[in-house]
Amino acid sequence: MRPEVRETQAAMEREGYIAEPGIATAVYLARAMRKPLLVEGDAGVGKTEIAKVLARMLDTELIRLQCYEGIDVNTALYEWNYPRQLLRLRIAGTEGREPAEAEHMIFSRDCLLERPLLRAITRREGPPVLLIDEIDRADDGFEAFLLEVLSDFQVTIPELGPVAAAHVPYVVLTSNRTREIGDALRRRCFYLYVEHPSFEKEVRIIRARVPEVVDGLAREIAAVMQAFRARRLHKAPGVAEALDWTRALMSLRQDRLDVDTVEETLGCVLKDHHDVQDLTARGVESLLADARSSTTADA
Amino acid sequence: MLDLDVVERLARLAGRLRERDVDVCLSDEIDGAAALVLVDLEDRGEVRHALRAALKIRRSDWETFDELLQGFWAADGSPAGPAAKPPEPPWRPRAERTGRTPRWRWMQATGQLPDEPGREPTGGDTPGWSADVLLRRKPFDDWTADELPAMERLLALAARRWKCRPGRRLVPVRAGGRPDLRRSFRRAVGTGGEFLALARRDRAVEKPDVVLLCDTSGSMDPHTRFLLTFALSLKRVVRRCEVFAFNTSLTRLTPWLTPEKIGPTLDRLAAGVPDWSGGTRIGASLDEFVTQYLDTLSARTVVVVLSDGLDADGPAVLASAMRAIRERARKVIWLNPLLGDPRYRPEARGMKAALPFVEHFVPAHDLESLERLLPLLAAGGGTRRGAGPGGPPARPAEQGPDPRGRAPRGVEPGGPPARQGATGAHGTLRGGPPGA
Repeated sequence: MRPEVRETQAAMEREGYIAEPGIATAVYLARAMRKPLLVEGDAGVGKTEIAKVLARMLDTELIRLQCYEGIDVNTALYEWNYPRQLLRLRIAGTEGREPAEAEHMIFSRDCLLERPLLRAITRREGPPVLLIDEIDRADDGFEAFLLEVLSDFQVTIPELGPVAAAHVPYVVLTSNRTREIGDALRRRCFYLYVEHPSFEKEVRIIRARVPEVVDGLAREIAAVMQAFRARRLHKAPGVAEALDWTRALMSLRQDRLDVDTVEETLGCVLKDHHDVQDLTARGVESLLADARSSTTADA
Repeated sequence: MLDLDVVERLARLAGRLRERDVDVCLSDEIDGAAALVLVDLEDRGEVRHALRAALKIRRSDWETFDELLQGFWAADGSPAGPAAKPPEPPWRPRAERTGRTPRWRWMQATGQLPDEPGREPTGGDTPGWSADVLLRRKPFDDWTADELPAMERLLALAARRWKCRPGRRLVPVRAGGRPDLRRSFRRAVGTGGEFLALARRDRAVEKPDVVLLCDTSGSMDPHTRFLLTFALSLKRVVRRCEVFAFNTSLTRLTPWLTPEKIGPTLDRLAAGVPDWSGGTRIGASLDEFVTQYLDTLSARTVVVVLSDGLDADGPAVLASAMRAIRERARKVIWLNPLLGDPRYRPEARGMKAALPFVEHFVPAHDLESLERLLPLLAAGGGTRRGAGPGGPPARPAEQGPDPRGRAPRGVEPGGPPARQGATGAHGTLRGGPPGA
């Protein structure tokens, strides 16, 4: 393993992110080659967290663009501050300014409201981390626009002219794969698919993120999570759920898992009605038995 | 600097990936080469991770990639084991293996077999007579290959009238909608700061994506060809259309369907789809769709299943697959050719299991019934999230005493051709649903 990759892995771990070599390699490469990193995977496996950790690692600002169905350039890039423009226009009118001068007053940088993409490009203090979250929710039109921004890191505001990036930001895109990302955008990026963590990794994550947890409980939780994922659920619980559950159990002062505890706190883990029904039908005991047999097999 | 040898190996690897239908293009190879400079070439694990990221290998292609990567390490660059076999064209071998000649009426329809006599439509001179009306209500069993272009023309007409649901994105419009401050302001500059007229924008019209799942088993034989023609016509008017065929297993047809070559394509499909015209395992096939292709479904996808619901498997698998599809897609429509028969009752176990997850259950035995499908595809589906399997199943039985019986809400055949047909439509669409 390259020392740089190992260093990336160690740095991520210092920030509380347990990265296996695959993740560390992809993050290191994206960083070294200044390419956007497209992260895909099931909900709750820690895709967004990669961007946050990267920002902490580089000690820089995290600028987040949350995508949604119907997001457009106005919310992503920039918007004019209309009340201010209107005010200035009136002032210019009463003062009898020349039209050119008035226009200059209206379409100046201080009438511009920067939205995440523009802010990421114009940040002076060094390259930020730009997180474009859940890109699969935006429509393809927006994806095409993003493509332009991500290849040139330059945007054109008709009234002001082109704005080039002061520093090329580190870009992380995440996708829950509710739709396939266009090939063109995929090509611009490095690609990382994050899977659900293995048992050992999950234990480490739980202990890193909830330091006060006792070792036995962390192992039990991780084992049950593995057992959950081995079943075909509609919404398989991710690491986020495991951490929630751990914290919930800690605040209930439980230090081991039994049938009653699991049943009472099931809402932290299973977020789908059918899954809950399914589990109650098959019995929590069988789940715990599955979990135990898998850990003993590991040991 | 990379060894030239490594670059060559990388190029070979990319070539082999492409042969196995893993989409890797030249720019990916360049990324791969650049990534290899940055990693430890001695560490196979690291090279694997790096190439997976740089070549953008999807999760579903990981196994293929790992297999071919073995060849990257081999001294002569030749892949080890099974990968050494040249890729076979997807359609030939299976047909040869099973030794089955597709039992299919295509040959008859193309004129290679003598057609039954006395099937020509009559009445060419009668006033008001239109070939279209007859064609529209002609059961698919009776169609000939000569009439395929006419069918396509009719479908294209219907598609043009197709209304679409408004999306969320805002686009400039002349009137209506909501004020667009940005453009208004821009205009006002030209008039010295006076807003003479507000610019407006409104929600853009969006066409849905369609995923078609066609049953090609023996029981569907007479219908399949026309339903696939319909799939092709549909492919031209919707934004994205994925077509799958299933009988005992699932095959993705989308790459094989091109508009120019309906005939040849269908012949090729007949040979290529495993067990074409064989038995049906609907549950297992849909389950395969759920495990492999669930990504193709999104909030704007309408899923259309073309099948008679005669399943060889138990209903539990089918129900669970239908539920997964229903949860992800905007709408699920089930087209059943048997529904055109007045005596038909959806009592097959498979059909019963699937119905609770189906929003529209419609016949598909003639062109007119397919035309009715178009507005269903377009009409907004607000019920996607709310109604689970516990919700009211969209059984035609609940449509009330409407003489057109089966046409669910929102179906209004618009435009002259449709109305023409509607006057005499009851005949083909009669056969009230069971249990009414």
